[in-house]
Amino acid sequence: MKKTLNYFALLLFFSAITFAQGFKVKASGEQTFNFEDQRGRNQASFFSSTPLEDITGLSNAVKGRVTFDVKDLKTIKGSISVPVSSIKTGIEMRDGHMHSAGWLNAEAFPDISFDIKKVADIKSVADNKLTVKVTGDFSLHGVTKPVVAEATLTYLDESEQTKMRAPGDLLGVQTKFDIKLSDYGVNNKLVGQKVAEEIEVSVNIVGSNAK
Amino acid sequence: MNKKQKKTIIIGIILIAMVLILWIVQGGEIFTKTQIIIEKTTDLDRMLGIRNKQFIDKFVFGLLPSGFGSVMEFLSAATLGFTIIVTSGFLIYLFKNKKKKTL
Repeated sequence: MKKTLNYFALLLFFSAITFAQGFKVKASGEQTFNFEDQRGRNQASFFSSTPLEDITGLSNAVKGRVTFDVKDLKTIKGSISVPVSSIKTGIEMRDGHMHSAGWLNAEAFPDISFDIKKVADIKSVADNKLTVKVTGDFSLHGVTKPVVAEATLTYLDESEQTKMRAPGDLLGVQTKFDIKLSDYGVNNKLVGQKVAEEIEVSVNIVGSNAK
Repeated sequence: MNKKQKKTIIIGIILIAMVLILWIVQGGEIFTKTQIIIEKTTDLDRMLGIRNKQFIDKFVFGLLPSGFGSVMEFLSAATLGFTIIVTSGFLIYLFKNKKKKTL
């Protein structure tokens, strides 16, 4: 009898891990989260090292939407994009070079985007927090390539505290992944400095499901 | 070398040393910055598992100028050092002894 109970407990434990596919929050059904923040608090950034100094580029003009069933994150679909012209590095002349045709070519390719294709390895960290592996199409400089990123998603039900940011439930998304500039046909020379071939991209955004 | 020229060299060296000290105190940045990134993560951001960084206007004195669009961008240890060296050289030339013409 004791052995059977142990097996049953073990089965419950593994099913909890295997079926941790969504959030355990008040909301249910399909929800759409909009990441456009008029106050510019959402951000996408990149980090690169050069022989002279490290460069951090930051954009606060992230936009996009994701839709998913709260109880089943595998249903997720949506995209996030950033206007190239909104990326700043703290040096105006460098920004100008970065946006120019010789580098990211903001005029010809105005947006950098990530289209979500699927999520896998969904792990529950807390009832309202999941870690996932997101596979999507990353488009930069007119080239689109598949990228896999580790992401952390946090769901907060609407409260007096969340209303200070935006009405509705909030979804926080944090992700980081590396890309190679040569994969996207980007010349890795910025203002005469050779920047690293590999760039780290980070995204820290919050979306609201308020209609 | 006369007294005035020696004085000019000493003042020039002191000024360059001060510029270098200012550069080191300002963080030893390679390029002059007019904007820097600061952490603005709030408690709510932490609850949402995200970090928030923002650019703010702040002047950081660098070793090299970051541009020519404004005086602030152009100001750097290199440009100030170069100006001091050129000015000192000009003053040393002005203070050189004029040989008296003799018959």
